[in-house]
Amino acid sequence: MHIQNPDAQTAVVTGLVELVAANAAQVRDDIRAALPATTVRLDLDLSALTFLDSSGLGTLVSLNKTLRSRNGTVRLLQPAPNVRQVLELTRLHRVFEITP
Amino acid sequence: MNQPIASIIRREFRISLRLEAACEFSAVRAATLAVRDWLAEKGLPEADLGAWELALVEAANNAVKYADASARQRPVTIEISCGEREVEARITDQTAGFDWPAAVDLPDVESESGRGLFIIKSLTDQVIYLRHPDENVMVLRRARPVSGGEMFPDVGQLQTRLAEAEAALTDMTAELASSYESLVAIFRYSSELGAHTDLKDFSRRLLKDLMPLTEADCAVLRLVSSDGKKLESLLVLPGDEKSLPPPIALADAATSAEAGAAQHRQDIWFGPEEALAEKDPLRAVMPAGNGLCHAFYVANQLVGTVTLGRLLAAKPFTAAQVNLLHTFIDFLAIQIVNARLLDERTAARVTRRELQIAADIQRSLLPSKIPVCRPFEVAAACQSALQVGGDFYDLIPAGDGALLLVIADVMGKGVPAALFAAVLRSTIRSMPQLFDQPGELLATANRTLYPDLSRVDMFITAKLAHLDPRKQVIVTASAGHCPLLVWQPGAPAAEAVGQPGFPLGIEPLTRYDQTETPLPSGAVALLYTDGLTEIRNAAGEMLGEKKLLQLLAQTAGQTSDVQGGKRFLLGKLADYCGQSPLTDDQTLILIRNNL
Repeated sequence: MHIQNPDAQTAVVTGLVELVAANAAQVRDDIRAALPATTVRLDLDLSALTFLDSSGLGTLVSLNKTLRSRNGTVRLLQPAPNVRQVLELTRLHRVFEITP
Repeated sequence: MNQPIASIIRREFRISLRLEAACEFSAVRAATLAVRDWLAEKGLPEADLGAWELALVEAANNAVKYADASARQRPVTIEISCGEREVEARITDQTAGFDWPAAVDLPDVESESGRGLFIIKSLTDQVIYLRHPDENVMVLRRARPVSGGEMFPDVGQLQTRLAEAEAALTDMTAELASSYESLVAIFRYSSELGAHTDLKDFSRRLLKDLMPLTEADCAVLRLVSSDGKKLESLLVLPGDEKSLPPPIALADAATSAEAGAAQHRQDIWFGPEEALAEKDPLRAVMPAGNGLCHAFYVANQLVGTVTLGRLLAAKPFTAAQVNLLHTFIDFLAIQIVNARLLDERTAARVTRRELQIAADIQRSLLPSKIPVCRPFEVAAACQSALQVGGDFYDLIPAGDGALLLVIADVMGKGVPAALFAAVLRSTIRSMPQLFDQPGELLATANRTLYPDLSRVDMFITAKLAHLDPRKQVIVTASAGHCPLLVWQPGAPAAEAVGQPGFPLGIEPLTRYDQTETPLPSGAVALLYTDGLTEIRNAAGEMLGEKKLLQLLAQTAGQTSDVQGGKRFLLGKLADYCGQSPLTDDQTLILIRNNL
């Protein structure tokens, strides 16, 4: 997983392969720790994500809350069909901006 | 939920797969992947595999989530039974467990947890959670799709997947078709290996097959020249004989990609980024696009180069296409080498056969016995060099005890020369009325033979000699032939007699002078062909007429027996040659007046 800050307002996370119970809390904490105070847009590039479970969903919700507290947003970029299905099943696609 | 556990297990549960995983997230995750693989083997469709994977992960995670320190020491068991209509999973943990909620609903969107049971319930047809003081069992059931019963009935996605599958199938079909065509082509070429096919035609067909398979639109085939210094173009496609590029020197590797590929034994790629040298002849054929020069060898010997180009397409050749090129060209190389061997063998066989025929004809022309012409005695010899068959001599009784001697050398070799020798012999023999007028006989023979000889640019040197025993003279006429050599008894040396004259077949109306030379008792005369004077010794010096005159004088003094004289003379000639092979026929007629 890599976190980059292309500008003061934006953070981009790439390289997530699985977001599951085993790593969900760690990923959440790592991203939070790496977020500069000025970041108002968090782009999670999910193109490499192969599997997402309910714990992973918890991480996404948690990060979304963090950004929202800054009047910011979380975008989910290019989720694979199975990942998108989980988001839709749990209706979280209504919460996140999902970019194909 | 009200069914007794025992009945569920006895009647419906059949263990097909049983896994134990340590009670931690990563271990149970690994176990679910193993189950997924196992179910895939059982033929479950992708959508069902995804559903089972996620449901099992959620169920197993739950087991781990509620484990206390001692429960973490005990494994989580996953058992799967896969029936024809239904898959059933049983996840057993030895944790404190949890209370199954009255309603399994989604939590608030803001909630960071609490979606696991909803996911499990959504992805399965039935969930039974059996809680026990020592262990908890979660039973999940999900019907197997009968005909495409989809977990996520998203038509759009299905269509996408279908389109993807069809595209993949099309690609595979194209690849298979291409491989099939390659194979068919290769088999066809294999069947032609060794057959005597036209090399150019074979190469053209091979390249025409290869070009579409490699998506090439032009090709140049060059073969190494016989001296091994040049690459000569055999084919250019598209194009004809006129558009063949000029030969290139192999040494010109700096200005020719083809020469470079041959010299460095490495394929040379060219294109917009690796441009051909400005003077490269390939530029005329392939001014744009990109391509590949490949040199090919058989037994480490350069055979030629082939260049494939794409005038239009920007993309370079793929590894598979290069492989195809190499395979095809290997076949071509073998065919080229075969064709050359075959040509050489055929040529050698034809030549050998032809020379045999020529030698047979020549032998058949020679008189089987020597007519009597007392007091003259005559001996003759005709030794054939390996490749030549144009000499002959004839000894024809000419009436009144006289003898017509004929010696001739048809310029040329092989069957044509032998045939003309035969024709000359018949022509002369058909004019007995002129046997005593050798000049007139030659003129008539020349008129007869001229049309045929001039048509094939051949000519004949001949000498006729009428040997008259009554007058003891020899009357000769010469058509471009070597002189008559005569040794008179008591003379210090032998001498050459007569003018050479014009060979037969040069001018249609030629006069031939006659020379009458007396041959008194003890005189020796020699008629010969230039094969005698043109023999060379080890130092490379030709014998020449002067030496032959000396040899004749020696021969005359040696013996009065003309047969012995002939053997002596031939022996001297052989001594002169040493080990050098005969390069021309040697024919001679030796005459002596033994009165």
